[in-house]
Parts: sequence; C-alpha cells; structure tokens
Amino acid sequence: MEPKKTSLYQKHIQEKGKIIDFSGWLLPVEYKSMLFEAKAVRTSCGIFDASHMGELLVKGPGAVDFLQRFTSNDISSLVPGQMQYNLFLNEDAGVIDDLMIYRKEKDLLCVVNASNKDKVLAWLTENNSIGIEIEDASSKMSLIALQGLTACNIVREVFGRDFEDLGYMSFLEKKAEGRDVLVSRSGYTGEDGFEIYTSWDDAGFWWDKLVSAGKRYGLTFCGLGARDILRIEAGYPLYGHEIDEETNPYEASLGWAVKLKKEFIARDRLFKIKEQGLKRKRVGFIMQSRALVRQGYPVYSGEEKIGEVTSGTYSPNLEKFIGMAYIEKDYAQIGAKISVEVRGKRYEAEITNFSFVNQKTKKNLSKEAA
Amino acid sequence: MSTTKFTKSHEWAKVDNDTAVIGITDYAQAQLGDIVFIELPKSGDSLKQSSQFGTVESTKAASELYLPLSGKVIEVNEDLINNPQWINEFPQEKGWMIKIKIENPVELDGLMDEVSYKEFVDKEAHT
Repeated sequence: MEPKKTSLYQKHIQEKGKIIDFSGWLLPVEYKSMLFEAKAVRTSCGIFDASHMGELLVKGPGAVDFLQRFTSNDISSLVPGQMQYNLFLNEDAGVIDDLMIYRKEKDLLCVVNASNKDKVLAWLTENNSIGIEIEDASSKMSLIALQGLTACNIVREVFGRDFEDLGYMSFLEKKAEGRDVLVSRSGYTGEDGFEIYTSWDDAGFWWDKLVSAGKRYGLTFCGLGARDILRIEAGYPLYGHEIDEETNPYEASLGWAVKLKKEFIARDRLFKIKEQGLKRKRVGFIMQSRALVRQGYPVYSGEEKIGEVTSGTYSPNLEKFIGMAYIEKDYAQIGAKISVEVRGKRYEAEITNFSFVNQKTKKNLSKEAA
Repeated sequence: MSTTKFTKSHEWAKVDNDTAVIGITDYAQAQLGDIVFIELPKSGDSLKQSSQFGTVESTKAASELYLPLSGKVIEVNEDLINNPQWINEFPQEKGWMIKIKIENPVELDGLMDEVSYKEFVDKEAHT
C-alpha cells in the first residue's frame, strides 16, 4: 500500500525533515538531529506532527457502556472535558492497543496507535452487536503535539488563556479564529505540553501560527526519533515494544490502568493472573558503559538469560544509554545489576525506576508547588 | 604531500607516504545521523583491505566500517570512543578513526579520488 502523507507533509519537506514510512505514514524521523530535538523539548519546546495517530469516535448515549466492556480503565469516572489513558484488552488480557479516551459531551474520542487503528476498528465493529455508531475520523483530523517547558506560553499566545489554564489530562473544545480545535494538556514526553486536534485542512494554519509564536520560546521542529527518545526517557510503553497481544497489563507495569471493580471481558483472566503471580516484569535500566541496546537483545543475570530488551536509546538529557526490558520477575529489583548482550559482547546495566528523567507534566508541577 | 582517497562504502584514507589515516565521509555521517557509539580495532592489529575494522552506531542503526587499504593499525583515536559525535561534527578532522601502515600501495589505484567520489555520491543520492 502507498504510504500516506499527513496534511503537514509539505511543511516537513520545507524544513528538510528526513522522511520515513512509519506505520504507513510519511513522517520526519528527524530534521537535523534527533538528539538535539529531544534535548530542546526538555529545555524549551518542541513541535511534532502526530497526525498518523488514529481517531475513532464512539457515539451516543451507549458509548461509555459499550467501551467499558473492552477496556481496563474505568471510563465512567470521567466527566466531559477529561481524558484517560486506557488499554483495549482481549479475553486473554493481551493488549490489543493502548489509547487515550477523551470524554466529550456526547461522544467518546479514542486516540489509538496508527499501526493498530484498522485492527481496533475491525475488532470493535465485530463485537458491536448493539448498533453503536463508530466513526473512523482519522483521515479528517490532524494532531499537532506541542511539548516542553515553554509550550504554555505559545498556547496562550495562539489560543488564549482558557487553554493555557487547562489541567493535566483535561481538554477544551472551542472555536478559535473561526476554526474548531480540541486542545488537551497531555503528551508522550513526560514534559508539560499540549495535544492539538484540528481538522485536516486547518492543520497547516495552526502549525504556522504555533511556529511563528514559538520563535521567541525556542520552539524546535521534532521528528519521530525525538518522540521515541523522549517517551523512553519518561518510561512510557510503546505498542509493539513493551506491549502487544502477548503481554498483560500487570507484567507491563500498567496495573494502575486496570480497574477490576468494573465488568469487562478480560476481568476473569486478570484475576487469575493476579492469583498465579507474574512470571516476568517490565523494567527500566541504565547502561554502565557506552552501549546502545535495541529490541530483542538478550538480558543476563550472571550467566543466566533472564529476558529481552524491548526498547533502548541514547538519552541526550541524561547523557547515558538507557533501555527497557522484560525480565524474570525475581530479578526485577531496583538497583540490581544485569547485563545486556550487544553484538556478542556483554555490557553491565543497573535496574532503575521507569522514569529516567524528572516528570514535569502539569500534574507533577503542581505537586511540587504544593 | 598527502592525498585523500575514498571507497564506495564511504570511508576516506588520507595517505602520507606509507601511512594512512582512516575515517568516514561527511556524506556517510549525514546518512547515519547522530553517532553515539564506535568500536575500533587495537593498535598492532593487521587487517586486509575491505575487511571490517570496526562498527559505528547512530541512534538509527549500526554500520560496519571497512578498511580502504590493507595494513597494520599503528594508532587509534581513543578520544573518539567517548566523543563519537565528533564523527558528525568533524568527519575528516577530529573524527578520524585509525592510522595504519600501508601494506600494499598498489591497492591505492583501486580507490577513488575526491572528484570521482563526489560524482559517485551525487549518483547514489539520485537513485
């Protein structure tokens, strides 16, 4: 299949973005340097085209009850204007996808991974025996992520104070300059930031406005490479790496997004998993010397193979090589020494907290102030 | 007087009498992106032309390094191990990798000069 272009494709070409095919979308992996870009987000601000993400609208009064059955987190706890991280789980408690659910006045907006959008849509449709309307709005919507310390200044200048005052994991839908936008205080970087949903055609207009306002605030164009580095630094999972249909939320350290008090199709299985105990666990680790680890590299404790790397990168903000892995549960202790095999050589690493950097999302900023 | 020769796998060799300093070209570093890791041979290693003498790794991928000329390694840029970004910043100066004693000068004839390498890269960039 021919890869698709986002509505911002020409902007990326103008800025000399290095274009790759990511899940069927042509997007910049970096402009000049992904290390520079990932650093800019933690020191000033970065702008990302995330229009590849899938948007599914589940409509009408039955939407909450319908989605409750297929998800692990409790959607009924949301009031309009709030959003939530959630997981689509199958009956075996395998992860079909991870997603953000936006509680709108009438509908639920599910923002899913580009690589899983068609699968999720087919799965929901197949299980939709009660005639819930599900609209795939992905080709009508664009998504711009503005992330970093100075993002709120830019949002205030472009969209106004209402948007700047948004709380973490909250959103506002409004007309600005005669155009509909949905802006949420959220992101995939561990920094304060916003995600801006626009119509397909308006994305260029808002991109230019944000870039122009951002000049005074150190705004940097960021590609998918920086997005990946930043999410690893923040300890966030990525589908196809830390989670897939073979992983359950507990071993993925996503138990906080599982609410067993509600009814859903994976519930029985999750109770069993809890009862039986976990075999393996997702951990974060810091390499003790220079060595870039990648998905699939074997992890050892002494001479015993105990797991595999799921993601790895060089962290320009820590100036260290970091990664995540699944390892046998008994070895998953913070401070424990492990080693990773890179091209036939073993390199030492130490297990750490997931969040390699200090999270500076709005929620954490207000905690610090309190 | 020194001359610089180039390989199709984008290494350069700055030849001065019977020694050559080896590195990768500006074109190669731009293709690789941010370089974060380098592995080099030890001083004293003898290697054949076109054999792998090391590995360079960017945030995107790892690439093998091929020796432009047969020879014995007489010097290694140890500072590069902790500063691999120099390969991006100064590929033909501070980003040099190893110095060898040339074993077989005839091999020089098979390498490209700067003009032919530039043509070669222009062609590669447009295919």
